[in-house]
Amino acid sequence: MSLFEDLKLNVEQGKKEAVLALVAQALDQGHSAQQILQQGLIAAMDIVGAKMEQEEMFIPEVLRAAKTMEAGLEILKPLLGVGDMQVSGKVVMGTVKGDLHDIGKNLVAMLLSSAGFEVIDLGINVAPAVFAQKAEATGADFLGMSALLTTTMPMMAATIEELEKAGLRGRVRVLIGGAPVTQAYADQIGADGYASDAGAAIKVAKELGAVKA
Amino acid sequence: MTQLRNASQVGRLGFLSEQNKRDIYLAALEVLANVGMRVYHEEAKTLLLEAGCTLTPQDRVLMPRHLVEQARLCVPSVVNLYDRDGTLALELGGYNSYFGPGSDLMSTYDLETGAHRPSTLKDVARAARLCDALPHLDFIMSSAHPTDQDPHLSYLLSFAEMMQNTRKPLVMTAENERDLSVMIQIARELRGGAEALRQKPYLVVYNEPISPLEHPEESLSKLLLCADTGVPSIYSPAPLAGATAPITVAGHTTQGVAESLFGLVVHQLRKPGAPFLFGIGPAVLDLVTAQSSYNAVEYLMTYMCAVEMAKWLDIPNWGYAGTSDSQLLDAQAGMEATQITFLAMQAGSNLSHDVGYLDFGLTGSLEEIVLVDEFISMNRRLLAGIEVNRDTLALEAIAEAGPGGQYMTSEHTYRYMRAVQWRPTILNRHGRERWLADGGLDLAARARQKALDLLATHQVPALPADLAVKTDELIGAFAAAGA
Ligand code: B12
Repeated sequence: MSLFEDLKLNVEQGKKEAVLALVAQALDQGHSAQQILQQGLIAAMDIVGAKMEQEEMFIPEVLRAAKTMEAGLEILKPLLGVGDMQVSGKVVMGTVKGDLHDIGKNLVAMLLSSAGFEVIDLGINVAPAVFAQKAEATGADFLGMSALLTTTMPMMAATIEELEKAGLRGRVRVLIGGAPVTQAYADQIGADGYASDAGAAIKVAKELGAVKA
Repeated sequence: MTQLRNASQVGRLGFLSEQNKRDIYLAALEVLANVGMRVYHEEAKTLLLEAGCTLTPQDRVLMPRHLVEQARLCVPSVVNLYDRDGTLALELGGYNSYFGPGSDLMSTYDLETGAHRPSTLKDVARAARLCDALPHLDFIMSSAHPTDQDPHLSYLLSFAEMMQNTRKPLVMTAENERDLSVMIQIARELRGGAEALRQKPYLVVYNEPISPLEHPEESLSKLLLCADTGVPSIYSPAPLAGATAPITVAGHTTQGVAESLFGLVVHQLRKPGAPFLFGIGPAVLDLVTAQSSYNAVEYLMTYMCAVEMAKWLDIPNWGYAGTSDSQLLDAQAGMEATQITFLAMQAGSNLSHDVGYLDFGLTGSLEEIVLVDEFISMNRRLLAGIEVNRDTLALEAIAEAGPGGQYMTSEHTYRYMRAVQWRPTILNRHGRERWLADGGLDLAARARQKALDLLATHQVPALPADLAVKTDELIGAFAAAGA
């Protein structure tokens, strides 16, 4: 197996020690950090993404692969130029006020960060004003809200209003999700994106990111 | 002492040995004493600390074993529920098993058109009236969540509809202790006072901690209100194996037992002897599709462990039945809904809800409720067991018939046939000709027809006019105060 094949396989299988060793070995052999990132780490995550979509991998395996990829990336970071490492965007996330269901939000947050987004997780029961404050303070590109209850869904609209009041609506793209949430509801309250699951959430975030750029 | 029925000789499927049960209990005690839980309710926290719990620097409440043991001594082994008229309806405890629909389904398959659409308050009323008519659904939950109403009034408005549309006892979800206290006030009006309601509980409240190991303010407020008013309270977590609970069945059960027992201690400290239901909603996160399954086989296993632990603790339990993860009422739904229901029945799970759930607890089907009612009917017959005595051994009848004889005209057949032969109402027992003549319908279509017929004919006696007025007043005042 070639070095890169070996590296990809170990990222996919979440073997951190092996990945660290293989990255070091690749550098020793004279491959550029940029090449190792693209042909090794990112290529591996592309395979992982595809396998996840085809339901061949369990989510914890995907998450471990992502962590492993990040470990490899740490070695490369000092060697990479500014342009080599695009962060997909900064996302502030939380469950809306009154809503304690956070499993879906956590999953979306984890998968967004494995897909290269920087996620600032505000946890549960986040009031509209707090969302707006944090979005402002962190310079977020995205605001992700999760609601699982029909009683708490109106907080999504209230948060968007709060963003408007703070003059952030032009800068921050709003993503919403959760079992009762629909595309129609997103349109109704003027959210920018809706996704029914974590995989779709990443796609939507990436699409919206591309629109801005 | 209440005499419990249904304690037949039928063998039960057991997953845990005596030693396993002790080990799970001890492991749960260890979680309570050494890992600790977070409590977001100041009064409850104070109650626990004064009773002997300690607080860690990370704000976790550690609970010593003796508090659990003390609560176990206080908590009743049997909880009786009374119907709207005040007649004893359900004796929760032992191996008695009762069934009812679930709550808060956001979508409904429309009975008339088959369309998948948002649930409304009318769906709550219809489900209640249908279940009132079905003999094997014993208690009522809202089934649907009224998405056409002010969300903060939704539980109260559902409660009022349920009261009007069924005489059976109710199990309620509530947003917080404010809407719950209005429900309790209305129930007191129904019974004629606080003491009368305490004596004859009409509703049970479904409260849940948040896995892993957290007890939110609203859940504990509602739990304490129940303890104070004598309204029976469920305190059942929904730990999702693989997400908010360990993936193994033993670990899943252990965490769930610890979380439910934590609520038991709070409840019994507040009011020793108050009626309580133990339970675990043993949800499983499918780690490939990220759906919260109600029918995964591991779910069923943890569920059975939870029921066995409830028997071992001798506390009535809250359980599940009649659910399917399927998107529609198809063969998968038939398979899943009947398997979980049969397991609940044979285990003697006391108060099992969610009959009629499809789509991971997001969509409801009245046809599925009708189907499960039929299934419960059939299996109540099965689990009542077999009577073996001189007369049922039928020696005389056998001698009378003799070689080459027949039993169609035997006195023995005549005497026993109606008691022995269970009659289906929608399962097909017709031959091909007759079945075709009747329209050649499948089971789902016949269930639908039965639901439509019952809804067209079944009447529930109206509530006294003054009670209806009072209910409107109380809800009106609540709405006004909220606005
Ligand atoms: C587990 C659960 C709980 C747990 C939550 C534990 C936790 N830490 O989250 C507990 C037991 C605490 C709980 C409590 C309650 N629950 Co609950 N619960 C559920 C259940 C069974 C599963 C939810 C879940 O985790 N699914 C798995 C995750 C992975 O899926 P997900 O959350 O939908 O997320 C995915 C997508 O929606 C999307 N997504 C999610 N968020 C976001 C955000 C963005 C930005 C994007 C793009 C995408 C996205 O991607 C995710 C990953 O694929 C649902 C039923 C259901 N099937 O939804 C009921 C349900 C949501 N609960 C319900 C109810 C009624 C309650 C209670 C009010 C009950 C009570 N008796 O008090 C309380 C309310 C507590 C509160 N204030 O929030 C109802 C809601 C009905 C309604 N009309 O609002 C449901 C539908 C069940 C039912 N029919 O009764 N619940």
